[in-house]
Amino acid sequence: MKFLDVFALELKAIFTDVAIVLTIIGGVILYGFLYPQPYAKESVSALSVSMVDLDKSELSREISFNLNATPQVELVRNDMSLKDAQDALVRGEIKAIVVIPAHFSRDVILGVTPTIAVGADSSYFLIYGAVLEGAMKSVLTQSAKIKIASLLKSQTPLSEAKLAYTPYTLESINLFNKDNSYTQYVIPAVFVLILHQTMLIGLGILGGGVNESPKRRQELQNAASYQIIVSRLIIFGSIFFVHMLFYFGFTFETFSITHIGSIYNILSFGVLFIFTTLMFGIFLGTLFSTREIATPVVLFSSMPLIFSIGFIWPLEAIPAFIQELSYLVPVTPAIQGFLRLNQMGASFDTILDSYMLLSIQAAFYTLLAFGGLWFRKAKRRP
Amino acid sequence: MFGVLNAAIVQEMLSIKNSLYKLLLITLLPILSFTFLITIFGKGVATELPIVVVDKDKSEISRQLLFNIDASSTLKIAYRVQSTKEALTLVKASKAYALVIVPKNFKRDILLQMQPKVTAMLNTQYILIGKILKAALLESVLYSGAEVEYVKNLLHNQNAQESKSSLTPIALQITPFFNTYKNYFLFLIPAILPAILQIFVVIATIVSFGTLFKEGKEEEYFGNSYIKTKIIGKLLPYTLAYFILGVAYLLYIYGTLGWIFEGSLAITIFGMLLMIIAYQGLALLFFVSGFDYARSLSLGAVYTAPAFAFLGVTFPESSMNGFATFWREVLPISHYVQLQISQANYGGDIYLDINKLLVLAAFSLVYIPVFMRFSKRLSS
Repeated sequence: MKFLDVFALELKAIFTDVAIVLTIIGGVILYGFLYPQPYAKESVSALSVSMVDLDKSELSREISFNLNATPQVELVRNDMSLKDAQDALVRGEIKAIVVIPAHFSRDVILGVTPTIAVGADSSYFLIYGAVLEGAMKSVLTQSAKIKIASLLKSQTPLSEAKLAYTPYTLESINLFNKDNSYTQYVIPAVFVLILHQTMLIGLGILGGGVNESPKRRQELQNAASYQIIVSRLIIFGSIFFVHMLFYFGFTFETFSITHIGSIYNILSFGVLFIFTTLMFGIFLGTLFSTREIATPVVLFSSMPLIFSIGFIWPLEAIPAFIQELSYLVPVTPAIQGFLRLNQMGASFDTILDSYMLLSIQAAFYTLLAFGGLWFRKAKRRP
Repeated sequence: MFGVLNAAIVQEMLSIKNSLYKLLLITLLPILSFTFLITIFGKGVATELPIVVVDKDKSEISRQLLFNIDASSTLKIAYRVQSTKEALTLVKASKAYALVIVPKNFKRDILLQMQPKVTAMLNTQYILIGKILKAALLESVLYSGAEVEYVKNLLHNQNAQESKSSLTPIALQITPFFNTYKNYFLFLIPAILPAILQIFVVIATIVSFGTLFKEGKEEEYFGNSYIKTKIIGKLLPYTLAYFILGVAYLLYIYGTLGWIFEGSLAITIFGMLLMIIAYQGLALLFFVSGFDYARSLSLGAVYTAPAFAFLGVTFPESSMNGFATFWREVLPISHYVQLQISQANYGGDIYLDINKLLVLAAFSLVYIPVFMRFSKRLSS
């Protein structure tokens, strides 16, 4: 068979299959729209907090004023007792409670170190973190003020008193994703996963379709494995190359996501990623006996994969055998490499480990893709 | 009619028995997925996260500070290098999550009361890891600073007690309500597991009806009468299987692992049942859009795969935009997870949670168009 004939057959099979087109074109666009939505508004808005002031002194009022002034926190209630505040919390009216104990002001003057209690709803960790940050800031500031005041009383000069309350400070700098943006956090990784999964589903439906349809098998009877593989690489490769440009170019620009990797590095790493994934997909396609197996299998793998790559939960805390399993799948080195190149501005030699792993996978799955096609053909012969 | 229902249930159970794929869908595959994620988050807390330090002072005070940082259970000084540039490369290579720089003349500046700055550069690309790191570093640095000041105060002839209380005039006690364990396992797993469950419910429902139609046996199966009853009978074995799986994971988390379930387990379980029924109806809605097996699987994937992000567990609901809040509302799982958190963590008032149950029940309205489409298709 001539290569062009095989190519034409594959092209027809792909574009007349609604499920494939829905996945590799409709799906890529829909997922690309849906995934960024929860974070589109960007900042975490102020959280409602109740103040239980059991002291009612000038000092406690000052603390509550300071707390309200922090951007993370908005005081919406003043409760007379902890019980009232807790009820409001369960009803969902507030997300955290700050309790200033009775005799607070007196204790500060006596130097007894009273305790302000902050309770936050830790069912949702971002809420918890935001309230803590706000409360910490305002209470620490207050604490420092009191300390300076007492140092001043003991006749230390103001400039020295200000400096002396801690011998040194911690200045923390956010290296990448400076604003702690969720879009910057989730999207660069999830987009790579979407490309990976839709490639696999598309090729899986195609491969399963050949395996279950006598007509398709008849068509490809005399086609050589390399002709089939090269046809699929060209068709899927060009579609997903455009998708990659659309995701990393257009959508990153639209959502103002950092893209500091050089175009040359991103493209060469991206092309290797697409090639490896396509080979993996062609191989998977030879395993599926029907068109409908691919979508469920790939879909079921998504949640386990996304949580084992190490960008949500640190690799150090993930059991070694799960990490090793995840290294069999192209998306793992791909996400690790893309994040370092494009979000952290790593140089190419820094991501050599991801590049090497992808290359090994590429060679391995190329062999398996040829092997799978050969096996399917051998099985068909009487 | 009950005879028809019974027959339909028995027939579907037989078909599950004869199909390894259907059997795996309701047993091994979801159980493996649950186990896999439970294993990933098994440790619950992140420990020994590697960081790199640059000590430009090399005095006993800087060494003490670094010792305290290394002693924190969260952090591990994995690299000590001479230059910031070298350290940055390690962070960019993801070999270290943060870089801590102790400046030159650190000790001298402390003694001169010039309040030098220890700089920490954090890899906040990974938000969660960044937050854990920042808190642990702040704690170590504050602790070390207090140590230094304590010694200094003692030198100034104050007594130990006074010297302690002048360090912190106000103490801050932080109480996490509900998820009092401050454990990421309990924070993520109760939301991840139902997110996996909904994927399986939708897929298995489509597989059950899809294979029937693909084989062209739908007319033989449904005939002309009791179509609704037969649909329900075909669904019920899956409803039961996933209900058992759902209850099993709840019992596992709150029973075996010993996390406290504050509220009513019965209400939560009832909500779970309503959620499963809702997703079965939605799966059929995708299916009747064209009675095409492969295509409805694609629709099911688009609907279920991104659901986890919309739950409001990792990112607060109150900060979502208009479309996201709308999309959240049309996912049964977001109502169920709210109910589960409210019952498990708050011991929520049943009257307050009744509206969540009502919303979950309201999803069953999708069965109306589903039944209509089925009748129309089978009568033509």
